[in-house]
Amino acid sequence: MRNTLFISTLLIALMIIGFFLLTDYGILLATEIAILAIFAMSLGLIIGYAGIISLGHAAFFGIGAYTIALLSEKMTNSYVLLITSVLLCAVIALITGAIFVRTSHFYFLMITLAFGQMVYALFFQSSWAGASDGLPVMADLNLGFGAIFNPEQYYFVMVSAFIIVYIFLRLYVHSPAGKITKGVMENEARMRSLGYNTRLYKLLTYTIAGALAGLAGSLYAFFNLFVTPDLTYWMFSGQVLIMVIIGGVGTLLGPAIGSAVYILLQNVISFYTDRWVLILGAILVTLVLVGRGGIVNWFQSLWTYLQQRRAKKHLSSTNHEIDNTYYKEDSKRGETV
Amino acid sequence: MPVFLFHILTGLAYGMFYFMIAASLTIILGVMNVVNLAHGAFFLIGGYITYSLVGSKVSFWLALLIAVVVMIILGIITEKVLITHVYGKEFEQVLLTFGLSFVIADTAKWIWGSESKALASPELLNFSLPFAEGLQFPVYRLSIVIVGLTIALLLWILENHTRIGAIIRAGVDDRDMVAALGINVRILFTGVFAFGVGVAGLSGALGAPLLGLYSGMDSDILVISLIVVVVGGLGSWKGSLLGAIIIGIIETLSKVYVPSLSMLIIFLIMMVVLLIRPQGLFGREVGT
Repeated sequence: MRNTLFISTLLIALMIIGFFLLTDYGILLATEIAILAIFAMSLGLIIGYAGIISLGHAAFFGIGAYTIALLSEKMTNSYVLLITSVLLCAVIALITGAIFVRTSHFYFLMITLAFGQMVYALFFQSSWAGASDGLPVMADLNLGFGAIFNPEQYYFVMVSAFIIVYIFLRLYVHSPAGKITKGVMENEARMRSLGYNTRLYKLLTYTIAGALAGLAGSLYAFFNLFVTPDLTYWMFSGQVLIMVIIGGVGTLLGPAIGSAVYILLQNVISFYTDRWVLILGAILVTLVLVGRGGIVNWFQSLWTYLQQRRAKKHLSSTNHEIDNTYYKEDSKRGETV
Repeated sequence: MPVFLFHILTGLAYGMFYFMIAASLTIILGVMNVVNLAHGAFFLIGGYITYSLVGSKVSFWLALLIAVVVMIILGIITEKVLITHVYGKEFEQVLLTFGLSFVIADTAKWIWGSESKALASPELLNFSLPFAEGLQFPVYRLSIVIVGLTIALLLWILENHTRIGAIIRAGVDDRDMVAALGINVRILFTGVFAFGVGVAGLSGALGAPLLGLYSGMDSDILVISLIVVVVGGLGSWKGSLLGAIIIGIIETLSKVYVPSLSMLIIFLIMMVVLLIRPQGLFGREVGT
């Protein structure tokens, strides 16, 4: 709990420092990163804490974004729009997840991929959703203190949303339900024999992840003011999966860091070449073959390595003392005998 | 009524086409326990190679043969260089083949561009049979059905009447035992993967005159064949045959009558099958 408070304070401080240090373009990038970080954290939650891999997570992002765009023609209250959108995603995740979690791992991948492509086809083929052209968002983001227009305001809203989602996820992961879910991931048979309904916990995590992905999509809709079917495409699901992998599976902030690295890389690389997707695939293949757990884990292993070295030094000096005492004891014994 | 029958027959042709891709995917899955998400990309490359060769005045059949040989070589290289590092590691497999599909599909886009390509049916089969009043059924589609049935027959003979088939069946049941009996599982895996990629390339070559070629086709094909595999049951090519025919016919009918909902209908069928039989029509529990 104290840790949560500490990290949240740190993140808020970073947000304020970032505001003063970043250029206009930096503010824009940071806003985009904050939105995608929410998305990446939601996928990181089901991969790292429930042990299930979804290849269609962009479906929820897209449904969230499209809900905002479609409803913005009828209503303007941002809170109503956001809550409706997140609830809708949660309900869809709950219904589809109830069927998905009955199946085993391989099925889960294939079915979520198919689900994502189905949502894509639905938006792509339907005229009410603007078909392949997409839809504009008619409403402005207004959280009670005036409509939000300029990049600085977006920056504060999106980064704050990211921090709130982070705190929420941290509390969830450390709650009894979160710990049971992690137990299910590590040994499902044992948790089942302990009397837990393992599917229920997987489903709960999947629903939360779906709702948060929907939130990220909704925020994106307000930020971009235009939605296209590409937001649900499997390429996007793949991209967010890569963010999770870059950052590290099994941590909360890892995927968020991964999304930052990803967005920065994308901006640099697409400046030089059109073959961003090719490079993306190559990065993924390389990470799998030599990556060993993502950036957060690299730092963690570096940290343990340094600790071990320090401990070794410490140990060798204490060993020396022990050797001496043995020697003394031996000599003492020698005296007595 | 004849119109309805006509659509059923068209659906059957598409179904047999999906069967070829799904069967190769499901055999790799059954024997090697690898979900090959790059399968759609291999399919696309097979199609593009055939397209380019036909464009430079090679006959369709020779082009098809070359495409299949190239794909088999590509399959061997992929298995030896990449897949071999991730056996037994489900998460890594998914990421690796996913990344690979990005690399292959984007390279294809680089070489062949993003505009769609059309390939004429080979001259030998480029005519239609009168079906009913005002309806002509293209012979090429009929030949797809025949090729699909031939592959099903070959798989059946291979599985039930050859030594390799016996090894593969045993490998699906208990891989460690097969290895313990002195079978070289490594060569078996390379062979199965190369075979699967070869069939994917063959489907791409045969599919080019049927569907055309476009960038993004890899994911469409992959998703349809994954649905066929899920409906039929993982690792069972017989399940894939039944699943492919069902999906092919229903897809064609829904595209004719409710075009914007076709994908939704296919997805709902998959959900219904999973609700009734979570392991698929012919499936056993795999990878729990």
